[in-house]
Amino acid sequence: MKVSFPHMGNAYIALSSLLSNLGAEVIVPPRPTRKTIDIGALHAPEFVCLPFKVNLGDNLRSLQMGADTLAMVSGMWACRFGYYGRVQHQILRDAGFEFDSILLGRDGIGYVYNKFRPTVEGNLTLGWFRAFRHFKRKAEAVDKLEIKSRQIRPFEGRRGSTSRALTEGLSLIHEAPSLEQIDAALSGALGLLEDVELDRDREEPLRIAVLGEIYAVLEPSLNFDIERRLGEMGVMSYPVMSVYKWLFRPLKTDPRITIDEYRARRIAKPYIAYVLGGEEHQTIAGTINAARSGYDGVLHLYPFTCMPENICRTILPRIESEFDIPVLNLCLDEHASPTGVATRLEAFVDLLRQRRRKRPPARIMKARS
Amino acid sequence: MVKVGIPRALSYYRYFPFWKSLLEGLGAEVVVSRHTGKHLLEDGVRHCVDDICVPVKLFYGHVLDLVDKVDYLFISRLVSVEKGEGDTYTCPKLIGLPDMIKSSLSGLPPIIDFVVDVQNMPLKSSAKRLAGSFGVTGARAKRALGGALEVERLYQAELLNGVPPEEAIEAVLSNGGGNGSGSRAGPERTGGGDLNIALVGHEYLVFDPFISNNLPRKLERLGANVSFITQVPSAVVEEELARYPGISWSYEKELLGAASHFLSRDDIDGVMLVIGFACGPDSIISEIITREVRTEKSPPLMTLVLDEHTGEAGVATRVEAFVDLIRRSRTRTTAPDPN
Repeated sequence: MKVSFPHMGNAYIALSSLLSNLGAEVIVPPRPTRKTIDIGALHAPEFVCLPFKVNLGDNLRSLQMGADTLAMVSGMWACRFGYYGRVQHQILRDAGFEFDSILLGRDGIGYVYNKFRPTVEGNLTLGWFRAFRHFKRKAEAVDKLEIKSRQIRPFEGRRGSTSRALTEGLSLIHEAPSLEQIDAALSGALGLLEDVELDRDREEPLRIAVLGEIYAVLEPSLNFDIERRLGEMGVMSYPVMSVYKWLFRPLKTDPRITIDEYRARRIAKPYIAYVLGGEEHQTIAGTINAARSGYDGVLHLYPFTCMPENICRTILPRIESEFDIPVLNLCLDEHASPTGVATRLEAFVDLLRQRRRKRPPARIMKARS
Repeated sequence: MVKVGIPRALSYYRYFPFWKSLLEGLGAEVVVSRHTGKHLLEDGVRHCVDDICVPVKLFYGHVLDLVDKVDYLFISRLVSVEKGEGDTYTCPKLIGLPDMIKSSLSGLPPIIDFVVDVQNMPLKSSAKRLAGSFGVTGARAKRALGGALEVERLYQAELLNGVPPEEAIEAVLSNGGGNGSGSRAGPERTGGGDLNIALVGHEYLVFDPFISNNLPRKLERLGANVSFITQVPSAVVEEELARYPGISWSYEKELLGAASHFLSRDDIDGVMLVIGFACGPDSIISEIITREVRTEKSPPLMTLVLDEHTGEAGVATRVEAFVDLIRRSRTRTTAPDPN
């Protein structure tokens, strides 16, 4: 079984570990580029949201690389994400590809569980257990690296050195086959980041919370690598969501994530009374929290026509004025250009710098993990 | 008397008779916004997020039209509208509609946020809560609800007969109940034209003469009998849906079921799928209809995307071309071979 799945940030590291431990041959498509998005947009419905098009482009690449099974997760609420796999796979079949689908979330747990019976050696439950441990360990390791790189990037002496160290570290983790080697790879990767030359004399960097639709926040090909861009402009960025949170939220194995979700829903309740199915509660609560903990600004990212985030986009101006925090809304689609995004980011950062000069941060925020 | 405003958009086409008679039973006067026009739509677009769907932009326009005329604004929050197996819900924008309006428009009259969430709360409780906020309780509230449900039942019966919503509303609200005959009817009963075309799309697009550029009339003028999804009984929709499981959006399920029904009928010559630009659920469901439902034997299927810039001429051209093609393919199949 040659399994493949679409990209989302660095999720591929944990996911390919899960699948390869289940005995499947994993085909990781190349990281999406503008070309991938163009190919996806060509085959996708006209005004479906952008992640759909990127995923479709990824799937096409995977099939060209010889994948015979495509895996996809499905959301379960009113958001379109719940129908991605079904429609994408139909589009690909209509285009003449033959493959097997694994739709996690729609097909039911039992189906997916048994799917790997032929590939797992020995006991199936033990196989899943082993695969899950590797999956979790890698996801945690990636999360730690991402957090570390975020903290040092605004201070790096040579521009780009953090990102280079991070890429190298991530590939160490990706290649580590066993639990012990993952741990060793993690400490090696952290060491690489430690070695990045820092210029600690710089002024306190601006702090910007990055939030919005999860794929737009986490996928560098879609948001023009916004985290890196901000870091290299000397800005500390705090994504409200992470790949780790996204992977483990539905599994409910980590109480911190469950509590965080619960709190976010409670904070967002006066603004959005019902569940909409996306990250709307994290967007609203994230903005309010950012204001309360003294961030300089909020960057709200969402793909064109995203339903839950469009509702947030309508509500955010009110929060912006009620809580006195600047918010930049960036709507991303296949026509967005890096220059356009860069111009708006630079203008936003300039405004925030001026604002801070007039009004130094009152409270020093606690470092967030 | 308290004046309550109901915008003539979105759920208006489905529930207006119910709300009107309920509110009047509770002692309120109901004011409806004007019909959609150029200025009303422009107002809506100006106050709305750029990339939201057309129907919501229209809704904004209708809300703004009411602002100075009423004491309360009635905005429905449709969370779930079917009580069946499994989770069903409506589009996120219908769920978050009052939140959006409250947060983005200033100087609004107080909003009556009427929640329809039949999976978790019976409609009766929602109505009771509404009655409570008007200070009406007990037998009078019960009577108002009973009357409203009866009016809604008559309204749905009219729709089933092929009467367009505006006319059906007039019929059931003016004489306290329709006679079931309707002033205009679908192809089953008139048979005036030589073509039968089915329009599959949300009511708030198809039946808003401004945004749809008077699509049903246009088709009739071209000699077609028009069928609407409101004419497909829910039992038929359910039956069709058994073949396409896994959709949880209630209104889109209706579209899918109706489309499947029309596409499998022999007497339908063409199906037009009418969708609004940037509509989330429609972008998925239209893809499912064209890829899973349509077969080689189905009648021609055309997708018409409507947005606030759609020009009348553009729609007219496409509709005429569609009708012409259907007629031409018919003459080709029925005319004897010249050779």
